[in-house]
Amino acid sequence: MINTSTNLAGIKMKSPVITASGTFGFGREYGSFYDLSLLGGITVKGLTLKPREGNKAPRIAEASASILNSVGLQNPGIEVFLDEELPFLRQYDTAVIANIAGNTIDEYCEMAERLGSSVDGIELNISCPNVKEGGVAFGTKSQSVYEITKSVKRHSCVPLIVKLSPNVTDITEIAAAAQEAGADALSLINTLLGMAIDVHTQRPMLANNVGGLSGPAVKPVALRMVWQVCGAVKIPVIGMGGISTWEDAVEFILAGASSIAVGTASFIDPFAPVRITEGIVQYMEKYGYSCIDDFRGKLKVF
Amino acid sequence: MNCQKSIVISNKEICSGVFEMVIEDKCIAEKAAAGQFLHLKPVESNEVLLRRPISIHRLDREKALITLLYQLKGKGTVGLSKIAVNEYIDIIGPIGKGFPIESEKRCAIVGGGIGIAPLMQLTADLKAFGKPISCDAYLGFRSDVYKLEEFSMLCDKTHVATEDGSFGEKGYITDIFAGNLHKYDVIYTCGPKIMMSKIKELCSTKKLKCYVSLEEKMGCGVGACLVCVCKTKAGDGDSWHHSKVCCDGPVFDAEEVLLND
Ligand SMILES: Cc1cc2nc3c(=O)[nH]c(=O)nc-3n(C[C@H](O)[C@H](O)[C@H](O)COP(=O)(O)OP(=O)(O)OC[C@H]3O[C@@H](n4cnc5c(N)ncnc54)[C@H](O)[C@@H]3O)c2cc1C
Ligand SMILES: Cc1cc2nc3c(=O)[nH]c(=O)nc-3n(C[C@H](O)[C@H](O)[C@H](O)COP(=O)(O)O)c2cc1C
Ligand code: FES
Repeated sequence: MINTSTNLAGIKMKSPVITASGTFGFGREYGSFYDLSLLGGITVKGLTLKPREGNKAPRIAEASASILNSVGLQNPGIEVFLDEELPFLRQYDTAVIANIAGNTIDEYCEMAERLGSSVDGIELNISCPNVKEGGVAFGTKSQSVYEITKSVKRHSCVPLIVKLSPNVTDITEIAAAAQEAGADALSLINTLLGMAIDVHTQRPMLANNVGGLSGPAVKPVALRMVWQVCGAVKIPVIGMGGISTWEDAVEFILAGASSIAVGTASFIDPFAPVRITEGIVQYMEKYGYSCIDDFRGKLKVF
Repeated sequence: MNCQKSIVISNKEICSGVFEMVIEDKCIAEKAAAGQFLHLKPVESNEVLLRRPISIHRLDREKALITLLYQLKGKGTVGLSKIAVNEYIDIIGPIGKGFPIESEKRCAIVGGGIGIAPLMQLTADLKAFGKPISCDAYLGFRSDVYKLEEFSMLCDKTHVATEDGSFGEKGYITDIFAGNLHKYDVIYTCGPKIMMSKIKELCSTKKLKCYVSLEEKMGCGVGACLVCVCKTKAGDGDSWHHSKVCCDGPVFDAEEVLLND
């Protein structure tokens, strides 16, 4: 019997496949393609205390095997999420993770309190490259990562996942700071800060000038970071960044990730998370694995 | 929502850089409405990663055919033009809110360049379901003109302008339209933003109903990623909100959208 279930720091999921924040809305849209109960979990769009309209369009540009986005955390605010979106998601047998972002540590804490135990986990977004205050500003220094994690942890009654930015010199240092402060799990990577220019208009392709890079092109960077972080901490890691096939997902699990998240790939193939889940099961059948831990972190390094 | 592979029946250049593709798909043809679009994957490889939004140009609901009209622009549309007959194309759709069909009105459609694409099926549906008192077309092009015959067959009167004067009137179609404003109750427009702003402005002076079909760069195409936004009015005064072109549009009531910022 193959068992794909995963217990991510207390968040019980029937499969290790989660959808990445900001690429899956609040589930409604992709719920019209397939049964959301097929997913291990859904991480919702980044939430803020008050509604946010985000940055100006154009907010997306295509680059080689990747995209740049500069949405800037447009969302209806935490109250609307709790009143209108969460009840919809709760109809499905899947874990719901709330991704939260704030301008101050107090805002993050207030959101964690408002969420209470209504969600299965909280993902602390201290890695959004598209907003001026907060976001990545908290995520690039070990000291501030430690402080914000410690504070929010005191206010959250569900497992706390800290989402790391790849835009740092040594990601293992940041990961260790989050663990030290009491994070229950880590997720990585958020987008890499990038840029694209239209040579004819001689202007940036994004109205925000710069944006976050994601998609297949970032996978090798993400994989390397996940591997390094898994070697540096004891808490479980959600691996993401460019995962679009089951082989990509298995690579992250071999590198040590306990779960994986699918982002940009859903834009190209709405069924990507489902196909990836099926592929993982077939891989397990082929090699005779009965659970994810049978091959997690089993990378044979040179 | 559907996502499937559909067969390409024909794909040919109808004038320099403008292609017409016919796809057979019962499911899409049955559900689609004028003004909606398809989100296509023109190139299978990851190199051209994103899908491309292309409007429904013409529908044959009985024969299950969907026609697209597209202009070559970059890698995606060039990829589209290379798809051979009998090959399959990966499609999400039909998507979005199309044109509302107003009944028994004096209608005008105003199209600029490749913006004429969604207006063809609209004109056909107006005739079939809207019982218009009249329906005139205003088509503006830079130089090359296309699809004039089909529009003339569906419309009472077809006005054409080219910027270089190579066909029809020389100049902007908006100037010709401006002189005939009093003849209409409802205007439908699609084309360059600057043209649509002008039409919106003209219509609001006479309090005419005006629908605009917007373009914005897209990711998911289904409402999940929030990259495709435009500004729409929210409540009174100057307050606004970011709406999603892919699912709140692409067609909007002109009074509801802020086109100039
Ligand atoms: C709702 C909608 C309906 C459309 N209908 C048609 C149609 O019927 N016929 C037609 O020829 N064109 C149509 N367009 C425009 C068409 O989507 C773009 O011309 C096309 O995506 C360009 O892709 P490319 O790779 O050839 O060009 P590139 O410039 O290389 O594209 C680079 C990126 O920018 C995006 N992009 C570039 N221009 C546009 C644009 N004007 N609108 C949206 N995204 C753009 C592309 O999708 C791609 O992600 C429509 C756009 C929208 C939003
Ligand atoms: C359009 C878009 C919006 C995103 N919004 C958020 C967000 O609100 N919060 C967040 O933590 N990450 C956000 N991300 C980052 C993704 O969750 C993910 O970390 C990143 O895209 C890498 O994975 P991928 O390559 O599979 O997309 C966003 C990514 C994209 C493409
Ligand atoms: S393209 Fe993703 S929300 Fe419109």
